[in-house]
Order: sequence, then C-alpha cells, then structure tokens
Amino acid sequence: MLPSSPLRQLAPTMARRVRNPKTVARLASIPQYSAPVTTTSSPSATTQRWHSNHTSSPSGPSSSSSSSSSSSSVNPDEISHFNALAATWWDPHGSSRALHLMNPLRHDFIQNCRSSSPYSSFTVLTEDASDLLPPSSDAAHNTTHNTANVQKLRYLDIGCGGGIFAESAARLPTTSSVLAIDPSPGVLAIARSHAKKDPGLSPKLTYLSSTIESLPTLKPEAVTQKFDVVSCFEVIEHVDHPSLFLDHVAQFVKPGGWLVMSTIARTWTSWFTTNFMAEDVLGIVPKGTHDWHKYINEYELRGYFEETEEKRRFWGRPRAMGVVYVPGLGWKEVPGSEKVGNYFLGVQRLAGEDNA
Amino acid sequence: MEASALRRSAALVARASTRNAIRPAVCAAISNSSTSSTPPTQLQTQQTRQFSALNRPPPNYPGHVPLTRLERLGLFVGSGLISLADPRRGDLIASFAEATATPYFIYRLRDAMLSHPTGRRILRLRPRITSQSLNIPYLRSLPPNTVGRTYIDWLDREGVSPDTRSAVRYIDDEECAYVMQRYRECHDFYHALTGLPIVREGEVALKAFEFANTLLPMTGFSVFAAFTMKKSEQKRFREIYFPWAVKNGLRAKEVINVFWEEELERDVDDLRRELGVEPPPDLREIRKREREEKRRRKEMERMMSGRSGGPEDDVLQKAEKEAEVVAERVKEMKDEVVEKVGEVVGSSSMRV
Amino acid sequence: MEAVARRKAAAYVCRSCTRQFQRQLRRNYSNSAPRPDIYDVVCVGGGPAGLSLLTALRANPVTSHLRVALVEAQDLSKVKSWKLPPNKYSNRCSSLTPTSALFLDQIGAWEHLDQTRVQPYHEMQVWDGVTDARIEFDWAPGSAPVEGTTIAYMNENLNLTSGLLKRLEQLGGVSVFEGANVENITFGEEMEDLDLSQWPVVHISGGKQLTARLLVGADGANSPVRAFAGIDAKGWDYNRHGVVATLEMEGEGWGGEHTKIAYQRFLPTGPVAMLPMPGNVATLVWSTTPENASLLKSLSPKDFVAMVNAAFRLSTVDLAFMHTQGTDQDDEYSWRLQHTSFNPRAIPQTVVGVQEGTVASFPLKMRHADTYIGERVALVGDAAHTIHPLAGQGLNQGQGDVQSLVKTIEFAVTHGQDIGSIMSLESYVSERYTANHVLLGVVDKLHKLYSAGSGPLVPLRSLGLNAVNALGPLKSFFMKQAAGSGTKIF
Repeated sequence: MLPSSPLRQLAPTMARRVRNPKTVARLASIPQYSAPVTTTSSPSATTQRWHSNHTSSPSGPSSSSSSSSSSSSVNPDEISHFNALAATWWDPHGSSRALHLMNPLRHDFIQNCRSSSPYSSFTVLTEDASDLLPPSSDAAHNTTHNTANVQKLRYLDIGCGGGIFAESAARLPTTSSVLAIDPSPGVLAIARSHAKKDPGLSPKLTYLSSTIESLPTLKPEAVTQKFDVVSCFEVIEHVDHPSLFLDHVAQFVKPGGWLVMSTIARTWTSWFTTNFMAEDVLGIVPKGTHDWHKYINEYELRGYFEETEEKRRFWGRPRAMGVVYVPGLGWKEVPGSEKVGNYFLGVQRLAGEDNA
Repeated sequence: MEASALRRSAALVARASTRNAIRPAVCAAISNSSTSSTPPTQLQTQQTRQFSALNRPPPNYPGHVPLTRLERLGLFVGSGLISLADPRRGDLIASFAEATATPYFIYRLRDAMLSHPTGRRILRLRPRITSQSLNIPYLRSLPPNTVGRTYIDWLDREGVSPDTRSAVRYIDDEECAYVMQRYRECHDFYHALTGLPIVREGEVALKAFEFANTLLPMTGFSVFAAFTMKKSEQKRFREIYFPWAVKNGLRAKEVINVFWEEELERDVDDLRRELGVEPPPDLREIRKREREEKRRRKEMERMMSGRSGGPEDDVLQKAEKEAEVVAERVKEMKDEVVEKVGEVVGSSSMRV
Repeated sequence: MEAVARRKAAAYVCRSCTRQFQRQLRRNYSNSAPRPDIYDVVCVGGGPAGLSLLTALRANPVTSHLRVALVEAQDLSKVKSWKLPPNKYSNRCSSLTPTSALFLDQIGAWEHLDQTRVQPYHEMQVWDGVTDARIEFDWAPGSAPVEGTTIAYMNENLNLTSGLLKRLEQLGGVSVFEGANVENITFGEEMEDLDLSQWPVVHISGGKQLTARLLVGADGANSPVRAFAGIDAKGWDYNRHGVVATLEMEGEGWGGEHTKIAYQRFLPTGPVAMLPMPGNVATLVWSTTPENASLLKSLSPKDFVAMVNAAFRLSTVDLAFMHTQGTDQDDEYSWRLQHTSFNPRAIPQTVVGVQEGTVASFPLKMRHADTYIGERVALVGDAAHTIHPLAGQGLNQGQGDVQSLVKTIEFAVTHGQDIGSIMSLESYVSERYTANHVLLGVVDKLHKLYSAGSGPLVPLRSLGLNAVNALGPLKSFFMKQAAGSGTKIF
C-alpha cells in the first residue's frame, strides 16, 4: 500500500526483548482465553511465535471472546506482558495509575481536535432509534452546530486494555456506543468484569477480543458503519509494524471522523524517564512495559500522514499535544514537549474513499 | 511608758519631715489649679501616660498626685536610696512602697481581693481603720481570746495607735489606692494575729510574712533590713522567724481579704486556723529570756571567780567585785535603753 | 410501569440507554430479588452543606442529569416554611464569607434567602481580655478590596437552609426522603451481569433502600456515612461549650446602619463574640467552660445581660468571680463598671435585653477525618471536620468543600470518569484537605494561645497582636484572608 513509509522501514530494525516465560505460562489459567485461529498469511516471524506460544494453552471457544486473525501487527510478547498486568489495571494506586491520570487529557485532546475542524462526522440518534443512521458522504460536510443536541459519537478503541478509556468514553453523554478491542484475553476479562460494576456502561460498551487485522472478519459492520473517533492510546509503541497497523486502522475512521493516538517520542529524555526512572528506579511503571527502541517520534508519526499527496488528500493536518508527567500533580500539557516525551497526535479523515 | 513617748516623738518628726520632703506633691498642688478644667473620665489610667509635669491632670481621688513616668522613676530611686541611708524616714518608705507597687503588684493584690467574696465586699464598702472607726473601749471589754481584745492588748503592749498611717498619694487607680491604704491599716492586725512585736526583729519577720502573702515588693525589700540586725538576732531570724514567715505567708489565705471589723468578736485561734496562720514563738519572751540568761551567766561567772580568791583579801576583793557588777549593770542598762530607742525608731520607720 | 422502571434505572448515562438497560434488567431479573434503586448521588444530611451540594448539582447543566437523592431525618417542610417575626432572630447564626455568598449566588440560592435578615459587617474588633492588646480590622483608605468592604455576612442558619430548600424546589429533580433515618448502610449484591458489591446501599426507615454511585456524607460530626466508610476522625474535645443567644442592643452599633462591626474578646475561658444582626439585634457566641455555660443558661435575663456586658468590659478577675455567683450579677456589674476603665467606642454597645428562649449551648470539638473520600463515598462539612467556632469558619469550610466536590464531579462527568471512583474523587481531597487542615490547626492554636490567663505567652501574643495591628499591609492581608477574598495561600 505505502511502500515508502519510513515507519515500515523502521519496523524490521526494532529490537525485541525476550519475555519471561513465566508470564506466558500464567496466561494459561485465565479462563476467558481462547486460541486464535491460525490462518496466517503474515510474513512476520513474530506472528508465528505468537501462535506457537498459545496453541499449547487449553482452548474453549466462546462467541464473545474468540478472535480470528489473518495477520497481526501486534507483538505476542506485548500481549502476554499486559495479560500479566491485568490484575492491577483498575487499582487507583497500582501500576496503571499514570494511565488513569492521563485519561482525562485524552478526552480533552479529542474535544480539542473535534472543535478545531468545521467538518465533522456524527451520528444522529433520535430518542428511540437503536440503530445508527447509515453513514453518508454528506454527513461529513454538515457543520456540528446544526445538530449539536442530538449528536452522538461512535468510538472504536483499539488496544483498550482494562478499559480505562473505553469506559470513560462510554460514560460521556455524547457517546452513542464504544467498541473496544484488545488482543489480550486476560486484560479483556478484567475489562469486562470491571464494566460489570457500573450499570450505566453495558448498554453502550462492547468489548471484543480482536486485533485490528481480524476486526473486519469478526465484525463486518465495523468497516461499513465506521467510527467518529478511533483511538489507539499507548498502542503504537507496542506494535511491530506501525505503518501496516495504521493502514489497517484508516478504514474504520468515518470521513470527518478522527483518528487519535498517543505514544512516546524516542529521545534520550524519554529513555531516561520512561525506561530508566519509571521502570527501573521508581518502579511506577512495571518493568518491561516499554521497549524504547519501538518508540516513535512525533515527526515520524506525523510523516506517515503527510508523506504522499494521496495521504494528504485522505488525512487532514495532524494535531499534536505534548504532555509531561509531574509527580504529585499528574499530567500537564506542555507545548513543545511532543518532541521530547509523551504526546498525543490526532488526525481527521477527509476523503470518503477507503483505498487511499 | 517612757519608750512609748519616745516612739511618738519620733513619729512626729517623721511626719513633719514629709511636708518638705516630697517635691512632686508641691508641683502637683501647683499644677492642679491650672488643669482642673478637664473633667475626670473613665479613661484616666490611659491618660496618665501622656501628660507632662507642667500639665498635670486632676487627681483621681482626694490626695492623689498623678506622676509622669520620669517622676515615678525619680520617686522610686530617691525614696529607695534615702530610706536605705536613713531608716527613720517612714514617709519615704511609704512612698517607696507606692512607687514599687504600681506597675503590677498592687493590681495583683487588688485582683486577689476581687477574687474573694469578702475581699470584694471590702472593696465595695471601703471601710477605714482608725481609732474613731474602732470602738476602743468596747474592744477592751471583749473576752481575752477574741480578735478585738488581742488587737487592743497588742496595741497597749506595744504602745501604738491605729492612727499613724500616711495617706496614699502616688497610686493612680483610686481603687488600688484604697487597696494600699487598706493594707497599711491592716498591718497592726497582722501584728496582733502573729503576736510579733514592733521591734526591728519582729517587723522584719512580719514583712517577710507579708511578702510571701501579698507579694508587695516593698515588703520584700524590707526583709533586707535583717542585715542591719545584731548577729544573735540575725541567727534567730534565720533559724526561726524567716522559715516561719515563708511557710505561713505562702500557706495562709490572703490576709488582705479578712474583714477585721467583722471578726473582732471571734476567737483569735479560730481565725488563725481558718487563715492557716500559726503564731510564731513569742519574740518578746525569747528576748527577755535571753537577757536574763545572759545576766545569770555573768553572775555565775562572778561568783565562781569570787570563791577562788585568797581569804585575807576577801573583803577587799568582794568590794571590788561588787563595784564591777554595778558597772556592768549600768552598762547593761545603758544598752537596754539604747536598744529600746533603736526599736522605737526602727519600728516607726517600718510600720508603714 | 415504564415510569417506575425509569426511576429505578441508573441515570448517569443518557435516558435511552437507561431504558435499554432497564429492559435488560427486567428481562433478567423479573422473578428474582427487588431491583436496586440506583442513584448517582445519595446525600445523607440536609444541612447547609448537603443542601447546597444538591442545589449546586441540580443548577449545573453538566451535572443536572445526575439522579440524586436526599436523606434527611428532619421534616424539611418545616424548615422550608420557617418564618420569624422581623424583630425575632434564631440563636443559631453563622458568618458567611463573601466567597461562600458568591457560591450561593452562583447556584441561585442567595436570592432565596430573606435578605432583610442577612447582615453584612465591615469591621472587626478583636482584643485580648487579659492584656487588652487589640487588633482593629477596619479598612484603611485605599486598602479596601474592589469586591467591597464586607468581611462577612451574618445569617441565621435556618434562613440559609430554608433558602436552599426553596431553590431546590424550584430546580426540582431531587428525590427527597425526609423524616427518614439512616438505619444501616451496606454494600450491594453481585449479580450475573451487574456487580454492585462495592456500591453503598442506604437503608432508611420504612424499609427503602437507595443504591449510590456516590454516597455523600453531609451528616454532621457523628457521620454514619463516615463510620460506614471506615474513616477515622481524629481530634479532641475542648471541654468548652459555645453559649449562643440573640441579644437586643441599645442601638444599631457605633458605625450605624451601614458600617456594622463584629467584636471578639479573648478570655482565658475562651473567646466571646458579638456579631451584628439587622437593626438593634446582635448574636452572641461565647465559648466557655461547661460549668460557666450551665450557669449562664440558669441566670435571669437581667443577670444574663449583665454577664454579657461584663464579658466585653470587666476584668477577667471580675468575670471569674461573677461566675461563682448564683444570682445578682446585675448588681455586681453596675458596681464594677464604676471601677473599670475602657473605651466605650472600642467595644460593643450595651446589651439591653436577651430574646426569650434563645440562650443555649453546645459542646466544642476539633475533629478532622483522616480523609474525605473512600470508594464511592465523599464527606463534606462537619462530617469531614469540626472546627472551633472562634473564627466563624465552620459553615464556610463546608461550603468550600461542596464547591470543590461539585467541581470534581463536574470534571468527572465531562471526562467520562465514574464520579464514585477514588480516582475521580482524589482531586477533591487534594484541594480541600490541606486547606482545611491548616485552618483547623491555626484556629486550634489560637484557642490554646488565648486560653492562657498568665505566663510567658501572654505578653508575646499581645506583642504579636499589636504588631499585626500596626502593620497595615499585613493586617489587610489577614482581613482579605478572613473574608475569603485574598490570594489562595494553601
């Protein structure tokens, strides 16, 4: 699709670390786990490793949590790592505290992106309509304020983890539905059991054990209906082939809708803060969460959306917001810090055709 | 009788000297006439800090002399120094008492009275103790162990009258001035209560008692007069009367809160028990005993030396010895007279 | 049936989703235990803090969709219809800082207070009963803040609660359970597809059960909600009682109608304060020993008035003695007045009467909860902290809590957070705890400092008071802090 992507060139050179086999073994005991169907056509060795790691586990297919995959940009070691973290995912003082603290900023950033553009995708939901209106190309050219009161958004959260963002998106009064996917069955089990604790969530929030590659197979309507907001927060740095991954993601974004991401720039500062300090010294982030070599700089990510004329027609101008974690105060927006550490990047889909 | 006459004349001298001694009083009298247009207000005490000697506010009570801070300091230093140099200046000791009591101590004493129902009643009624206010013949008619009879007996024994008190002048607050007055007027009742005589030794012991009880600074300073006493008296003071004074002064209730006029018919021991005062050993008795002891010892010595002489010179020696005894007796008598005079002068200066 | 079902639904999300969820519930549990009655916010306690919380939530467009309930033991209709003749005032009054008043105005409650019964005051006279050292909080020319010279508003607590209830009625949408005692608070149950095992369920008299996403304890110093959350409150009793009374004064104050003055004198037994109400009325708050308090309550009106006048004029020695008298304080007072010097313009005007039946007392305590939040629990007002009344900050602290909690809830709602989760409530604690703690500490130390009748502290504290009084900028800083209009320092 995009043979000249710098991300694609970058990807094979990324080092991968060997994970502790114990964490992999622990996965076997999580009941929600089910083995993916091995119909791989991917040239990636890592995908094969992912399969081989899990075929030995007991399998019990179930309708809600099974996933099928033709190819995956997700590194299986990453999946097992996050499975192991699942237990503390919702502990406000646990290892995911930094993520919990960052969550409000994600909403602020989305709000920021959406209000920056006069064009918007939206879903009109009348009082009793349980079905969504079919997407139309006209919708992308409607201005938001005409129908502001009934505008409800459809979210797709890729790599939802324990559901920190997915739950919060589902709670917003402006949300009509949230589809949250993650390839780690362990964390999805946690996400599901946590969502059960809030009676307000179940009508809006759906979890699906899936990779982005297998989503069209598992949920064909996701491709046809698309989403107003597609989010992948703290995901790209865990993906082996970011550009392939983004190619897949594009088809789920409704014209006028936004793709919103967050990740970490690959700088000495980010190595020092996220790897050395956060993981090794302070221990506020579990060891092995981050592989510094997989970090993507803001200009690299921005470059993906701007590299060709085609892309520039398909995507709007990317917007970025740099954030800094201040211990004791939480995350703060610091203009310019997107070049240094954690940052958000949002981009609006302009074109109506998927094969950009 | 002779001693009492002496004492009275000394008191007269002291009183006469008051008139030319106190300069500020004169100044006050002059300035009073010029500033009497300002009416006294409730803010009097606050205003005392702001006038000058040429612009003196009117008195807060009859006889009051408002002083500036500088004058007060002068009074403190002057009266202190002169009364140390000349202990017969009772008027200056009284001034010294007022100068030292003002910033804090008189308020403490007043507050002690205000904290006690009887003390408050005294402050409210403001009784005065004089030979007129007290019915002297009636007191003499009371049974022996009553407070009134003890008091009058003590006055008679010491040969003093309740009327020899100088008026308070330099305390600004008129209520505190009354407290000072009351303290002075009650002083003889403390004598009667404790039985302490007005000889220097007795006065010093009572002052120590009062200091422990009232904390008035002048009473404390007066205790330094103990260093002017004879060696033997100092020893007695150190061993008997000072410990007694401290113990009783601290333990006893505030004696300023006794409404003496109402206690006259009461059993004196009963009152002592109530106040927590135990009378010290009778000082006059001790002194008398000691003097007799001394005389007897000398007589014994003479007898012993007389017996050891030879038989021939017996008559001559006897005559010589007798002459010696007479001379000694004369010397003793002379000493006694000197001491008596000293006592009178001393006590008059300290009975303020 | 549909209406009932809707009421029982979780209201946090949109109405249609609620219905969807409700249909689901009906499908799944039509034959099982009664469906839980779920509220977003259940507030226990209908005092000033609880009522202003609900009013603020209802008045805010962001939070007005929340399903809220109020549980109050009292009969609120009596409070709402509270009325007194214009010359009679309740004895329970509080000072409201301009900050609190602004907040009440923002939530639309201020205009519902009977304004003829609200008295702003502009100056304060505070002095030491032992040494007479004094600090005069009057605005020097040019130092007055632009917001106005009002230091605080004196107001009857009932005027506030009544006004809040009227505003709430106007806003509507609150399920009110009045005359209802909290009998028990438990956790919900875990069901097949709904796990309420961490949700508090409030059992109220009559058997009703309210399940709360966020349970707010505005239920006073002995908060059952705090006990449920297992939050300990530390502190001590002062062994002091606050004696209150409504007083009739000889005039409307030295500053006239437009410059009202509050007075406070620190006595070794505790501070005595006289705060202006409209016209010739003033309200008394006298912190004193329990023994003195019971004596004061037993006195005839004439002697009580004499004691109050004495408290602002006579020496502490006289006052102490007069507390030992069973009667005749009036006579004692007129005698001592002749022998006591003071500047009559620096103290309140003479009290001439006491409104019948208004002399009452309550014990004083210092309490501070270890935290204000737990999972699905938040504490506000006296449930979180009890302060010595000497600075008149108790009610204002509660209003500050409410303001902060509503802000926290608003943030949580706009960011999709669960308003009951610790994560979303954290900012409430971090904003309020230290500020309250500092204030509690300062007031506590002030009480202790001025409890000394003698000793080395007495001259030192007077030196401090006089020094502050002499330093204009420092004084106006303190005044602005007291008025709540100063720069936030904590």
